Amino acid sequence: MAPSRTSTVKNKHAANKSGIKGSKLSKAGPQDGIVQKKRKGPPPTAKGTRPAGVLKKKKKKVYSEKELGIPQLNMVTPVGVEKPKGKKKGKVFVDDRESMNTILAIVQADKEGEIESKMIKARQMEEIREARRVEAEAKDQERKAKFDDTKDSLRKKRSRSRLPGVEVDGVKDEVATGSNALKAKKKRVSFA
Amino acid sequence: MRALTEEETKTLFAKLANYTGSSLKNLIAPLSDSPDADRYVFRVNKDRVYYVLLSISNLATSIQRERLLSLGTCLGKFTKTGKFRLHITALPILAEHARYKIWVKPNGEMPFLYGGNVVKAHVGRWSEDCPEHQGVVVYSMNDTPLGFGVTARSTAESRRLDPTGVVCFRQADCGEFLRDEDTLFSG
Repeated sequence: MAPSRTSTVKNKHAANKSGIKGSKLSKAGPQDGIVQKKRKGPPPTAKGTRPAGVLKKKKKKVYSEKELGIPQLNMVTPVGVEKPKGKKKGKVFVDDRESMNTILAIVQADKEGEIESKMIKARQMEEIREARRVEAEAKDQERKAKFDDTKDSLRKKRSRSRLPGVEVDGVKDEVATGSNALKAKKKRVSFA
Repeated sequence: MRALTEEETKTLFAKLANYTGSSLKNLIAPLSDSPDADRYVFRVNKDRVYYVLLSISNLATSIQRERLLSLGTCLGKFTKTGKFRLHITALPILAEHARYKIWVKPNGEMPFLYGGNVVKAHVGRWSEDCPEHQGVVVYSMNDTPLGFGVTARSTAESRRLDPTGVVCFRQADCGEFLRDEDTLFSG
């Protein structure tokens, strides 16, 4: 059995109108083989039910063009096309002294504020920098002082350790107390 | 030739106010107290802005736009993006109303006039309390305006700068009268 082909009709309305009267196409019925009965006259349904449905449909709100807000041109409106109402077409020139002065005053106030804020910012930054510098200096000084202290203490230690019998950090000088303590006595030379 | 629009006026004044102080309003003040006194106005021809006497600009309306080369003082031009660029021809007006100034030593004049920035070693004097990125007018030591620029650092910061550090970025200098001779007034 050959597979049944489904034919597609591109133009439904043109399907039965081949243009030639009495041609095969014009005589042929619907191609799917189902013949629908053509209705003639009023539909056979009861009168009471049908009008109700019609009424319901009529109740649907019909929107006017304005209400929908669809742009007149259904695309992006070019700049020149949109015309604001009540506005002068073209450029607005400023040539009178009053308006020039007003604009100048506004611009100058703006600039003044800008400069002022810049100055304040610069001053604050300067203060911060100064504070940091002072802090760093103080730290440096402290470090130096500590270093000097350590150096001094080391020097003192050395000088103390040279003295006999001086205990440095709990360790007695070996030279002072050891077996060869006598040797530690300073040699003296005297001329009679 | 036409007057400036509001937007253009704002842009122009904002640029001028970078360099000048509050005396800028004298630019558009009438020359005398009489009601029909002459005054200076701004006019645009093509994209260039001219600062010109109203009476002269009225006379100039009799000349075709294309044929009109220049009138009054050319302040600068509007770029295609709507910004305003000051030309060196605006220097006399800026110098007259300058707010911040830098005086350059004789050994720094030539480097500046050849298009260089101003380095600290070349600065003879400068206005106190000048913030950074502020318009300044550059003078020689005998008070001749040489050009204008934008400060690279505030005065306080530039004090700590080394001698080769840039103090002011050049915007325009008198050397442009020769260097840009063919494009300065037309084209």
